[in-house]
Amino acid sequence: MILEKLVNIDRRIVYLLIAVGTIIPILIPIGFPVSTTPPVESLFDKVESLNSEDVVLISFDYGPTTAPENDPMAEAMLRHCFSRNIKVVVIALFPIGGVTMAGEAVATVTAEFPNLTNGVDYVLLGYKDGAQAAMKQMGVDIAGVFPSDQYGTSLADLPLMQTVRNYDDVDLIVSFATGVIGEWWANLINAQFGTPVAVGCTAVSAPKYYAFLDSGQMIGLLGGLKGASEYEKLLTTSYPALNEVYNRAGTYTATKGMDAQTVDHALIMIFILFGNTIYFLIKRREKKLEEA
Amino acid sequence: MFWKIRLPLILTFFVGLVPIVTFFLTTRVPGVSFIRDHVEQYMVIIAGFALLLGVVNVVQGNIKKIEQRKPGWPFSISLLAGLITMGVFGILSGMKVGPFQGILAAPDGSMTPFYWMTKNLFNPLQAAMFSLLAFYIASAAFRAFRVRNIDATILIVAAFFVMLGRTPMGEYIFGWLPGGETWMPKMTDWIMAVPNAAAQRGIIIGAALGAASLSLRVILGIERSYLGSDK
Repeated sequence: MILEKLVNIDRRIVYLLIAVGTIIPILIPIGFPVSTTPPVESLFDKVESLNSEDVVLISFDYGPTTAPENDPMAEAMLRHCFSRNIKVVVIALFPIGGVTMAGEAVATVTAEFPNLTNGVDYVLLGYKDGAQAAMKQMGVDIAGVFPSDQYGTSLADLPLMQTVRNYDDVDLIVSFATGVIGEWWANLINAQFGTPVAVGCTAVSAPKYYAFLDSGQMIGLLGGLKGASEYEKLLTTSYPALNEVYNRAGTYTATKGMDAQTVDHALIMIFILFGNTIYFLIKRREKKLEEA
Repeated sequence: MFWKIRLPLILTFFVGLVPIVTFFLTTRVPGVSFIRDHVEQYMVIIAGFALLLGVVNVVQGNIKKIEQRKPGWPFSISLLAGLITMGVFGILSGMKVGPFQGILAAPDGSMTPFYWMTKNLFNPLQAAMFSLLAFYIASAAFRAFRVRNIDATILIVAAFFVMLGRTPMGEYIFGWLPGGETWMPKMTDWIMAVPNAAAQRGIIIGAALGAASLSLRVILGIERSYLGSDK
């Protein structure tokens, strides 16, 4: 009877434990260490190889639902590019809030780099529907897809866009994606135009991208909050001045989020072990009853 | 018959054929890139109209639900209210009418009406809805994840290794072993890069072949489900 009660424990207790396991590490940071892995290091090294003459196209292909995972990696990438004076072209292809995520990330990071000029060092081109068609057309003419930037300024009036006409003028494409759009960058754009592509995705999507990483269609992968925290670690190690931003109280970072995720992972593993232990005990008891 | 069936089939054939043919002939036949570029631009424009079609569909369906007082009809009122409000705000903001100056923050950093609604209503609601998944997964892990056979055992063992390796837990637990701080993340990476990538590759190739086959059937007019069930 006790075993049956345990296996049918009120699910609200499970919910409560998960809530506590999420809230407490956010309120009281634990500071788990972060170790880096090759897919993240590969992307970091690629950006490190770029300089002020190069252009990175960043596509915001996620919405508010996955912002806790994708926002930190997007902001880390922007900070990395701006720290190296790399030119950045920002677009959004995700229909549900992609352009808002892009606008917020650009506003947050450009405020930390007051010497940057919109139109010269970076542009925010906004959102365009018809993802695959827009992506393909940008390989021929970016201005044909985005005739003006998010604020209505014609591309002809933006100095940066005079030298960035299509993918031939882009040195790296980084897509922060929640769904299938990241795959399209790898298997459509890299395959047809040869531009290096990297993807920052949610943890649940990360497994499918390893096939593209292995085949060389992607040069790097940031998988979920762990990938974002790894990139933050590499960034703050190479650019110590950014530690001021990442250690600021009240700022959400992937490294801080990893504390909650670690605790929740531990809880889920405990739930699985506990549930299976009760299951095997019940099975053993039933077997004994049958033999008796 | 011609307008409802033959014309859509003819259009589908030519529009579907253009990207395929132009992909191979762009550098060989002059003028082909002109056709390709225009067709791709038309696709971007038509995708915008498809979005509008989706909105019309949602409005029609929910109005019918309210009229017929089907179960859950009050939620349809809430849906339509949200859709109309955000839609009107968004259109006015996009056209920059009166106080509606854009969908992002104003140049001085102040919030435009649409941005205020996005940041204070839409974003938190979306985040809250997806946050529920964590609780459901935890409950499912406790109640349903049972080691009933060999396959489930392998799955759970692999899942444990990945969960340990994708967080600092693995390093903490196995750090006392020689090299323990690094082999757990490396093992996790191996699981993702080798067996997982192999399986994903098979799925991706299978899905791509299926999509190519279906696309060919649609282009050739063999698959006509998009014309309606009775055609």
